[in-house]
Order: sequence, then structure tokens, then C-alpha cells
Amino acid sequence: MRRRNILWFTIIFVALLLLPIIFSDPFSLRIATEALMWIGLAISWDVIGGYTGRVNFGHGAFFGIGAYVTGILMMKGGWAFPITVPIAGLTAGLIALIVGFPTLRLTGAYFAIAMWSLALAFQQLVLLMTITGGPDGMRLPAFLNPEFFFYLMLGIVSISFVSLWYLMECASFGLKVRSIREDESGAMALGMNPTKIKIQAFVLSAIPAGLIGGIYAYWISYIDPASVFGDIITDQAIVMTIFGGMGTLIGPTIGAVILFAFKTLFWAYLSDYEVLYLIILGAVIALTVFFLPNGIWGTLSAYLDSRKIKKFGEVISQSTGDDNEYV
Amino acid sequence: MSEPIIRIDSVTKTFGGLHAVDQVSFQIDQGEIIGLIGPNGAGKTTLFNIISGYYTPTRGHVYFMGKDISGQPPYRLATKGIGRTFQVVKPFPGLSVLDNVVIASLSRYPKRRKAEEHAWEVMEFTGIVDRAHFLAGSLTLAGRKRLEITKAMALEPILVLLDEVVAGLNPKEVDQTIELILKIRDQEKTILIVEHIMRVIMNLSDRVVVLNFGSKIAEGKPKEVANDPAVIKAYLGEEKDKA
Repeated sequence: MRRRNILWFTIIFVALLLLPIIFSDPFSLRIATEALMWIGLAISWDVIGGYTGRVNFGHGAFFGIGAYVTGILMMKGGWAFPITVPIAGLTAGLIALIVGFPTLRLTGAYFAIAMWSLALAFQQLVLLMTITGGPDGMRLPAFLNPEFFFYLMLGIVSISFVSLWYLMECASFGLKVRSIREDESGAMALGMNPTKIKIQAFVLSAIPAGLIGGIYAYWISYIDPASVFGDIITDQAIVMTIFGGMGTLIGPTIGAVILFAFKTLFWAYLSDYEVLYLIILGAVIALTVFFLPNGIWGTLSAYLDSRKIKKFGEVISQSTGDDNEYV
Repeated sequence: MSEPIIRIDSVTKTFGGLHAVDQVSFQIDQGEIIGLIGPNGAGKTTLFNIISGYYTPTRGHVYFMGKDISGQPPYRLATKGIGRTFQVVKPFPGLSVLDNVVIASLSRYPKRRKAEEHAWEVMEFTGIVDRAHFLAGSLTLAGRKRLEITKAMALEPILVLLDEVVAGLNPKEVDQTIELILKIRDQEKTILIVEHIMRVIMNLSDRVVVLNFGSKIAEGKPKEVANDPAVIKAYLGEEKDKA
């Protein structure tokens, strides 16, 4: 199973590496880069939202922080872009660490509200400060090389995906965060420190968002409070994750690709009706929650698992020859 | 003379004006099974929560192998060797039985692969191995109670706190659980058990501690305690002093 996953990842990764050779026009590359960006934002949201079960309505703040860190360091500090991106990621992680202590004590809607307000607070802060250019935003030097940004985004998102895959699906950390999601006080009796684990997950969720924000700033070369701190960034990442399947990494990836493809086509052919886009996004999320609560991938993998368990059950009943009374 | 596993030293826990546990002292020695009984609301579960770190005692101390552990968080006590079950079972319903037990094993075996090997051994021991790949939420009450014990055992505890692990089970399941508890004792674990079913307490316990309205009213061998006038009064409610 694990080996097959590695094989699939390698195939997809190589296919993506070759993509610019086939679709070399800037428009296609831009679409592909943005699709990768949404994959990164969705999987990183899922670390805290799906795996740890703390719905974060302020994930966009880490993206915005990353974008502004890169903007400020490049424009005011004169730093080179490659140095600013890691700093963008670390800053987002550090802020998650600080913010996590008070907010992660909250559960359910209260955590969601706290993070949503925090994201708004950051947006207001950036609007007021002069170093960020206030409402005018910041213009970064244009570096017109779509291939560079495509490969950079591919690299960062792939590294995030593989590290998160290792941590969440192979290492013990994934089980720890799941135990917190399932029953926090029950997990404590088994030696889990909920505060520590939640904060680790939160930092882990914020860092990729910060890195991606940093790349976004230089790629788009213009950032302002509305575009990088807007609710739509968080909302879209959440819808993609829920649509694809929370608590998995493949789910948000599928969700991001499908919804981003839809958005792009919608924008390209039906831009007269752009007001409908948010309505459709809302309808998609409502229908998913009602009819596919586990998302596309969650439903599909549950079906595959149930077939596996059926087989396992047959083997057991053949070998023991009796039905157990505990179930 | 070795230290007792647990020494509870005049522990009091108040909620507002209510003394849920009031000046309770007793100790548990290595290898003993102690039954903790008392009518509903006597403070048994509160005392459990104090020993396992969920509550900090308002006054008094709890010593575990000679060290004061009062007020230490549950996750630290779990790694030190206090395993507990919950009266209202707390499985991780969305995870498989195996993953539930692996999570408990992680406190002893941080590497996931080692933890998984250990989980299989413990599931074998408690007899839940054939349900390993089922979702914990899909188990019956008996299955979930057994899973609770399995998870507590996966911590490789020194002291096991069992909170009403047979309540709600049918007679056959009760017998199987008694057998399991005896198997746990044979592993040289020390056990504190809360139970309403007297058959269980009388069969298993070396000593019984009786609580009523938060205070300890009796302590001794099961037979002695059963004949203690104060205990009979607490359970049957004789109104001697009011008459």
C-alpha cells in the first residue's frame, strides 16, 4: 500500500515537472501555479481543520503574513527574494505559536470565531501601517518568469505534501492529533498533552501558508490588504478541503484541483455571471456537507476500506470459527 | 517495607460549597485489588479524577510510589504509570480499535511501528484482537468497555483504575470481565476498582473502601465491610438518629 502511494506520488510529480514543456504558454503555467498554490493552502488548512478537528477560519492570515513579510523585506529591507521566503514561513509559524496558546483552548465555533477575528485584525493592522503601504498595498519588482514560479510553487507544495504525509500518515504524530480530535480528555488519560499537540499542529499548518504567501507576493508582484488578507482565501481553502475530504491529504488535493478548475473555467467563459460564483461555492459546500460528509475522497476510501474489512472479517471467522460476543 | 503504590492523605475536593470528597485517606499496596464502593454521588468518580490528575484536590495530597502527584496533569501521570478507564467510555470513535490502542502504546513506545507491535500484544491479552480493524464507534458497550481496559493496559501501568467496567453488561460479559481483571492482577498490577455490582466487588477485592457523601465510612475485608452497620445504613438508609 505504502509503496503504491510512493509510486503514484512519483508519477504525478514527474508529470508536473514535465508540464511546462507541454504547456509552455504563460497563461497555462499561471493556472497550473495557482492550482498548486491552492493545493498547498488546502492541505495545510487540513492539518489543523481536518486532522486536529479545530476549524480555523483565519488560515488566510498566515498567507497574508507571509506575503507581507516578503514584501516588506524585499522593498524596505532590500533583501533577496530567496531569503525572504523561509522567513515568511517562519514568521507565520511563530505567530501561530503565539496565537495558539490562547485560541486553541477554545473549541468548536469559538475557535473559528477567534481565528476569523484575528485574520480581520491583521487586515486592519496592515491597512493602518505605513510600512505596508496601507490601503494602497505594495508593489514588488516584477520578475516575469512563469516557469521559475511554477517550479518554485511545485517544490514548496511537494515538500509540504510529502512532509505532511510522513507526519500525518506514517509517523506517530498523525495518530496523536487524531486522538485530540476524537476525544481530548480521553487522550489525556493516554499520555497525550493536548495543548502541546494542538500548538504543534497549528504551527505545522501555518508554515506552508506563510511560505506560499511569500512566493505569491513576488509572483503576482502586487499585494494589498484585500487581496492577501481577504476572507475568500480561507473560505476557498476550507471549501476545497471539505469537498475533497477532511482529515486526509489526498482529499484536499482533489478538492483544490476540481474547484480551482471550475473557478478558472467559470471565470473564462461565464465572467458576466461572476456574482454567481460565490453562490455556487456556497451551494457546493452545503450539498457536500449534506450528501458527502466525508468528501469525495473520504467517501471513496471508506468504500474501499469496507471491502478490505469484509475480507478481513471472513478470514477471522474462518480461523476462529465463532462469532465474538463483544460486538 | 516498600512504599505503598498510592497513599491518599486527607484529600478534600469541594465544588462550590459541596464537599464531593471530604478528608479521605487510605492507601493501596503493591499487588492489591481495592474496591471502592458507595451509593450514587458518594464521590467515587471524583476521587478517581483526583488520583488520575483530572482534578486537583482542594486540600490534601496524593502520593504515587512515595512522590506527591497532587495537581499533576493526567498525561504526565499516564506516562508515570497510572492507567484509567472512564465510566462513560471515551473511545476515539472515528478511529479503528487498533489505532485506539496504538495511541495508548505511544506513551511507552514513541515509534509508531513499535507501538503497533505492542498494541497487538495488548489486544491479544484482553481478547479484542478480532475487532482490531473495526471502528471503535461501531463496537457494542461491552466492546467499548473492553477497549477502555485495553487502552489503559497499553500504557503498561503500575496502577490501574477501573471505573465501572462491568456496569451495563450482561452476566456472561460480567464473568468475562472478572476473568480479565484477574488476569491483569496476575501481571502484578495494582488495581483500584469502582463498581456497583456487589458480586464483582466481593469476588475481586482484597479490601474495600466505602464512601458516603464524600467521606470514608468503612474500610476492610469485603465480608467485614458488608456487615458494617454504617455501610448498611448508607445503602439501606436506616433512620436511627432521626427517630
